[in-house]
Amino acid sequence: MTSAAATIETAAFATRPRGLTVVAARRFARRPLAVIALAVVVGLFVAGGLAGVLAPGGDIQINLTAVHQGPELHGAHLFGTDWVGRDMLVRTLYGIKTSETVALLAALIATVVGVLCGCVAGYYEGWVDAIVMRMADLVTALPAVVLTLAALVYFGEAYPHILAFIFSGYMWAGLARIIRADVARIRAQEFVEAGRALGASDLRILRRHVLPNIGGTIAVAATALVGQIVLIDATVEFFGYGLPASVAPSLGNLVADVVQFKFGLSNDPAVLNLGWWTWVFPGVTLVVILVCLNVIGDALDEALNPLS
Amino acid sequence: MAVFLARRLLLAVGVLVGVSYASFTLIATKFSATCATDYTPATKYPPLAGSVHQASILYWRWLRDVPSGRAFNESCGPGFLSPFWTSVGHTAVLLVLTGLIVVAISLLVGTLAAVNAGSAFDVVFRVFAYAAWAVPSFVLALIFQSIIEWATSKHGFRLFPASGWPGICPSTLFYTPPSCPRPAGVRYSISVLQHTFVPALTLSLAFIGLHSRYLRSALLVSLRAPYTTTAYAKGLPQRRVVIRHALRNSLATFTSALLLDMGAIFGAAMAVDWVFRLGGFGMLFIIQINGIGGGDSPAFLNPYAVENLLAFAALLVLASAFVSELAVGWLDPRARLR
Repeated sequence: MTSAAATIETAAFATRPRGLTVVAARRFARRPLAVIALAVVVGLFVAGGLAGVLAPGGDIQINLTAVHQGPELHGAHLFGTDWVGRDMLVRTLYGIKTSETVALLAALIATVVGVLCGCVAGYYEGWVDAIVMRMADLVTALPAVVLTLAALVYFGEAYPHILAFIFSGYMWAGLARIIRADVARIRAQEFVEAGRALGASDLRILRRHVLPNIGGTIAVAATALVGQIVLIDATVEFFGYGLPASVAPSLGNLVADVVQFKFGLSNDPAVLNLGWWTWVFPGVTLVVILVCLNVIGDALDEALNPLS
Repeated sequence: MAVFLARRLLLAVGVLVGVSYASFTLIATKFSATCATDYTPATKYPPLAGSVHQASILYWRWLRDVPSGRAFNESCGPGFLSPFWTSVGHTAVLLVLTGLIVVAISLLVGTLAAVNAGSAFDVVFRVFAYAAWAVPSFVLALIFQSIIEWATSKHGFRLFPASGWPGICPSTLFYTPPSCPRPAGVRYSISVLQHTFVPALTLSLAFIGLHSRYLRSALLVSLRAPYTTTAYAKGLPQRRVVIRHALRNSLATFTSALLLDMGAIFGAAMAVDWVFRLGGFGMLFIIQINGIGGGDSPAFLNPYAVENLLAFAALLVLASAFVSELAVGWLDPRARLR
């Protein structure tokens, strides 16, 4: 054997098989836009999570010497201040914190419930499938915004955990439908038949054979859920429901404040001009998060399901 | 196909009854005393009661009176039929105009993007689609409204009003403007178009971004299909191949996705209605739930009205899903065989 052939053989043996996750991660990393979007979302979410450390005074700290001040690039208030002198950058940071808490918590609960229900419905079929899917039909018969508003009126109080409960109570249904279709497809494949023939229990088949094969679908759907929840949360808070901005600012209620004041006091915009910066910065942050989540979702879909 | 549609229709009716019963019972057991103590006109319906059993009896009476319209008028609050149909009419105009804009622009942009896949136009379209879908409708509505207000105050722009509906003044909590005369005949229709064009455009943008992408994806699959190659091989011009062969086969996916998205479009329409003060479903729903949630005017305290609005929203979503099944069967003959 020549030395060149020996080197090739050694290299072939040295190449370790790559798992699906590694392959998908490399495919994802080859998309610069998706990597930038991921960095931006993680950066914003970390900044929001550390709002208490970055601005220990809280979002209600007021500066009466700088009331209603526009944004200054080199001044003390980069995003300006509102009508009582609260820093809009600090309020936007706390807004991200509230919105991400609700969205991540709701998406986590909805994903767990949706995957469980989808797996059970798709795997067992028959009357179990019918019951789960009719429950999903009932939940999704109302538009998300209408259902959330009605649920908030019913509960009376809006706290992040109540909002997360309401959103997850709606969002699980869409995810369960997607997972059910995937599980029903995998259930009919030979390796599942083989597992059953070898005497594997249903739980083992679901855990060892079905779940690993729907990981991609779950990841894509869960990412989409976070974006949808942020959007619906913002819309509901825009109507004046959900968390009030005076209690806990969120990206939705910070934008909503300007409308509440405007429509509450006068129809003439000249009567009360709150300043464009009081809603544009939280609004732009909201849009940036949603754009990035959409880009990440698309890139994940293409990385995990290259044939799609 | 007929059996399939009959089964879907039965299922939709069952879901509608289930949703309305669940929401009615929840409202009845939670807000039992509201209309009994604060508003007591001579009514057919008794005040809502606290137990599930009583709520079930009242639900049956409410359901029985829906077809005749009595369920709207003879509740524990003031007559609701007129404001309900007015708001539904305003929202219907907004949704129809939005639908026309979305379909026209999505078909044009989605087709051009698919035919020129990978070109600069396609890249620009993709960026637009991401951005448009990510901007919440209420943010877009605020931006458009601010532009109109600026143009009106600085340059005397009068073509599109910043808010309101012809004949209905956009009054606020502490401010009631002088009367707004309602124009008659054709001028009313033109005025309605002027008031709803910008809100419809606002609402359309997000859904154009999303649905033109759906169409582009479906069209790309059709353009790579063997029948398209055959059509080209027969010497047909590109326009004919794209429109008659590829686009027609992609329309089923596009139409189905658009109709199934009715819930999201309806939710966004509520926010746009609220910003532009169109007096549609969004404004009526918020006014009604504000009353239940602790509003101080007894005229708003009408839990039956909220139930009517919830049932209507569910009916709209379920009807869209059913029409989607019909449309797919009509556009794609293969679906009729299932």
